[in-house]
Amino acid sequence: MSGGIKRRDFLRVVGASGAGATMFGCSTDNVEKLIPYVVPPEEITPGVATWYASVCGECSAGCGTWVRTREGRAVKIEGNPAHPISGGALCARGHSALQGLYNPDRLAGPMLRNGDGFEAVSWEDAEAQLAERLGAGGGNVLLVTGNAGGALGHLFDRFVEVAGGTRVEYEALSEAPLREAARLAFGRDVVPSYDFEAARFVVSFGADFLETWLSPTAYGRGFARTSAIDPMGSKGRFVFVAPRLSLTGQNADEWFPIQAGSEAAVALAMAAVIAGDGADAGPYGELLGSFDVAAAANASAISAEDIGDLARRFVAEGPGLALGPGVSGQHRGATGANLAVLVLNYVAGNVDRSVHVGQPDQAAASHPYASLESAIASMQARDVSVALVHGTNPAYSLPPAAGFADAFAAVPFKVSFASALDETAHLADLVLPDTHSLESWGDSHPRPGIHAVQQPVMRPVPLFDARSAGDVLLAAADALGQNLGAQDFQGYVRARWQEMGLAGSANFEDFWRDALRHGVVRSEVTADEAPLELLPPDPGVGFGTPALDGDQDGLALIVYPSSRFGDGRQANRSWMQELPDPVSKITWHSWVELHPATAERLGLREGDVVRVSSPHGQLELPVWPYAGVREDIAAIAMGAGHTSYGRFADGNGVNPMALLPAETEQPSGALVQLATRVTVEPTGEWRKLASIHGSGHTQEDRNIAPAIALADIGHAEEEHGQHELAELQEVGGFVPVSTGGEPADFPLPGARHGEYGDPENTPRWAMAIDLDKCTGCSACVTACQAENNVPTVGEEQLLMGRDIHWMRIENYFETVDASHAGPVDVRFTPMLCQHCGNAPCESVCPVFAAYHTPEGLNAQVYNRCVGTRYCANNCPYKVRVFNWFEYSDVPEPLNWQYNPDVTVRGEGIMEKCTFCVQRIREVQNRSVIEGQAIADGEIVPACQQSCPAEAIVFGNIRDPDSRVAQVTANERSYRVLDELINTQPAVTYQRKVTFHEPAAAGH
Amino acid sequence: MKRQRTAILAGIVATLGALAFVQASDAPQESTDTAAEPVAAAIDPLAQPIAFPHDIHAGQFGMDCQYCHFSAERSVDAGIPPVATCMGCHLVVQGSNNPEEVAKVRDYFQRQEAIPWVRIYKVSDHVRFPHMRHVAPDASGEPRVQCQECHGPVQEMPVIEAVNQPLSMGWCVQCHVDRGVSRDCTVCHY
Repeated sequence: MSGGIKRRDFLRVVGASGAGATMFGCSTDNVEKLIPYVVPPEEITPGVATWYASVCGECSAGCGTWVRTREGRAVKIEGNPAHPISGGALCARGHSALQGLYNPDRLAGPMLRNGDGFEAVSWEDAEAQLAERLGAGGGNVLLVTGNAGGALGHLFDRFVEVAGGTRVEYEALSEAPLREAARLAFGRDVVPSYDFEAARFVVSFGADFLETWLSPTAYGRGFARTSAIDPMGSKGRFVFVAPRLSLTGQNADEWFPIQAGSEAAVALAMAAVIAGDGADAGPYGELLGSFDVAAAANASAISAEDIGDLARRFVAEGPGLALGPGVSGQHRGATGANLAVLVLNYVAGNVDRSVHVGQPDQAAASHPYASLESAIASMQARDVSVALVHGTNPAYSLPPAAGFADAFAAVPFKVSFASALDETAHLADLVLPDTHSLESWGDSHPRPGIHAVQQPVMRPVPLFDARSAGDVLLAAADALGQNLGAQDFQGYVRARWQEMGLAGSANFEDFWRDALRHGVVRSEVTADEAPLELLPPDPGVGFGTPALDGDQDGLALIVYPSSRFGDGRQANRSWMQELPDPVSKITWHSWVELHPATAERLGLREGDVVRVSSPHGQLELPVWPYAGVREDIAAIAMGAGHTSYGRFADGNGVNPMALLPAETEQPSGALVQLATRVTVEPTGEWRKLASIHGSGHTQEDRNIAPAIALADIGHAEEEHGQHELAELQEVGGFVPVSTGGEPADFPLPGARHGEYGDPENTPRWAMAIDLDKCTGCSACVTACQAENNVPTVGEEQLLMGRDIHWMRIENYFETVDASHAGPVDVRFTPMLCQHCGNAPCESVCPVFAAYHTPEGLNAQVYNRCVGTRYCANNCPYKVRVFNWFEYSDVPEPLNWQYNPDVTVRGEGIMEKCTFCVQRIREVQNRSVIEGQAIADGEIVPACQQSCPAEAIVFGNIRDPDSRVAQVTANERSYRVLDELINTQPAVTYQRKVTFHEPAAAGH
Repeated sequence: MKRQRTAILAGIVATLGALAFVQASDAPQESTDTAAEPVAAAIDPLAQPIAFPHDIHAGQFGMDCQYCHFSAERSVDAGIPPVATCMGCHLVVQGSNNPEEVAKVRDYFQRQEAIPWVRIYKVSDHVRFPHMRHVAPDASGEPRVQCQECHGPVQEMPVIEAVNQPLSMGWCVQCHVDRGVSRDCTVCHY
């Protein structure tokens, strides 16, 4: 002792000198500055979040959002609970808008063509160029836009009026056939809206309404409400009729794997059966009376008995709801197919009940390809002097055979408003980067009677000198001597709203402020006076199964919109690239889905790289055998394979549009997507799929996601499915001794919490996840990523099993059979830290970084963690993830998105779900300051917040009145692997309910 | 080379204990070989851009801390006053003690420039210290913790300095022990 220095003292000295050097060091590098505002913005308090209501701009659904900003930066997007579309939820693509806002590949400013490349120019020069070219254009202006409703669409139309020219709307995901069918059926040129909650028997003819079709968040909520078991023990049924089982299809109770393109045959056969039973078919009576159900059965490969049975149940178990083919079923007879489904709805009495073909719909224009096709022709004929492209990327999203690139090149002056150099902007002469939707004004009218203002939630990111396209066009019109009535686009939006008279007798300023604050305004909708009548059949529209190009022995190619990238516009976002596809669980690259029997016939294994050839092109990509496609189908997702979009998108995967012809469907004018057969041949190469699924989508006898038959509800026998364990126990293996603890029994007998808290008198935070509601949409995965600063690791790391999501959705294919109509059973299990009361990870941590808090959280103290990874090895749920590298080191300004309330983890740190402890602390702090008790439901973790299906409930399970306690007290409740290893999780799952008897132990 | 030497110097100073947190004005002086890095040597990196006397404002005039540190009761951050707050008074108040320092404030405001205050207090990045939870008044209307308990007698300090407290975890926890409040790790670390 004497004179010696103890280890701890030594460390203290070193520590202190370290701190000294950091805080008072003698290099100016280490001195931190506190930079105050000169004049404080009224709405900002440092350290306190400010929320703005706005509108999501990622697809045309028009979900209302609440955007959380901190110190003037947007850090998280959530659904606006007051908005009838989003209802508080938001899909994964909606969350990823932040990565569009802070995308490092956004342009720094306007760019002017210089030879093969571009040079930066000032906005003054760029706008002068634009004005000069428009002035000299002589009225031959072509404006190609994406879906732009509301004030922006209005401005586009006014602009082409004064500039002289035409406007063409084009979206790769077009609802044109549905809209055309509504016009043919009811004389209304609208996209119908669907009320899932009014239906008890849903039949989807391939419409992927949980992923991309029309309004996935709203329909996801409606679907979960009708299809999940209710407190009365009743459950709506969902039948999926399509050749490929999409994520939406995986949520079905039954699957009718029909021949590609035979939707019209099945729908009309069903309608014929219903009409034959005496239902009114209006002017279709004759057509249906003579309809050959046997021929339809033949065409669809579904027996006439099955079709007849489905039709009768559709009526008897109704109210029914039939949904038309989606984009993936957009074939040469798509209008007929949509019309047939509307006729089925009419005959089954669903129109005006669950199907509303309502008043003029301002939102969804149909954006058919046909109008762009004629624009391409006029560009080729050199009839266009100035072409402007906004909000769409035809050079990428059209088949090459459409000839867009060549035609575009023939235009003397081409302008793009793209915010990054996408494939179309790459061909332009002038790029005028538009502001992101979170930085811009706009408005949205997603359904009759619903209006919302899209207000900027922050000043434009200063690294990117962008200007709103609305402002640029107003200035350009000004330069042409045509004032369009507003100085800037904000004024234009306001003026439009004033014109629309939504304020009524109220003062407009007050009304406007209120609209901005609440994010949604409703107006009266005049209801139909008489029931909607069906129009007589149009002899020009056929209902036959369409022909497909190519080798008739080949596989029909289904090109479906990706639930991660949509039509490809969300591709340059690492969150979306690394979000496992909800069906295949593959990240980053493309794959082709083949039925396992087909793959075997062709001698292909998972990961074999194949050449897929159609008469229009060919691609090489790996095979993923999937029992959810028919044996005569090959399916590829849209949205990948960009050549010029940005660092996260370029070179990842392939663009299946290369395999398609550039052909319009008549009469809707939509691009035909289901058009061709392909041949598949091996290239001899193999690659490992970047999938997060370790078990081939099976439960391996572990019974992780058990189900219960509807008939067994109320008298379920206790089921012990751990056969493997039982066998082990027989030969003297590990025998767990269950404490028999309920989730509310906390702390467990014998657990020691030391002196750091009082576990007897604190809440126990717990979660309940209803697997009968969960649709596997994966919104929670991205919500968690946004909230908790969860980084992405990239394809190479992911291939090594280093994915770092805190939440993943396991999908287990229990019953998936494409050979005949029958039950389908896919179990989704959102897997996150189970916050075990008896956690295996805690006891193995040598530094007490993993420990249990008095509130029942399994905590991970980052500053204690030394990265031994023992905890992850001992975690039976594989929810602990490790930072092998500095994953959080992202290119500026992606880091601006980081949530300041959550530590950004560095290399060598173990991390996992915290139950959003920062949100718990925020509410606790507020409750202490305000002297109010925490109300049940006040603390909402990010996953629960974003869940469209309302499957997740969080709260204090000790409080018997809390929702989580009530939901947990359910005969369907179980805890994953608890009986196997006695982990006593705080997360309780409620079993999925099936109509059929589920397999005993899960496979 | 110099940085190494001065870091060692800081280490020595720290080990001496009493001077672990030196006042800005007593910051280790640079050595005289200014030829190598003349600029760095000439500027004291710890000097505040304006010699703001807390003793006059908070002591002599008895101004409430939260007049300037405006968000302490409702935010994790106490808040550094915007220049406009200074000008609220100094538009008319010339400053009898240090008119030249007040003139600097006015210059900053005139240039619409933020004052780059040197940060004295900083908990590590992995620590969450919510000011409002500590400062907001309790049921009796008194602050739960007086600002001075952590920041020292600021109202007596002509130059703001970190008082003789280490901002270490033990120091925080001791107070939590004394007051019988939660010592759970995730109260501060998440």
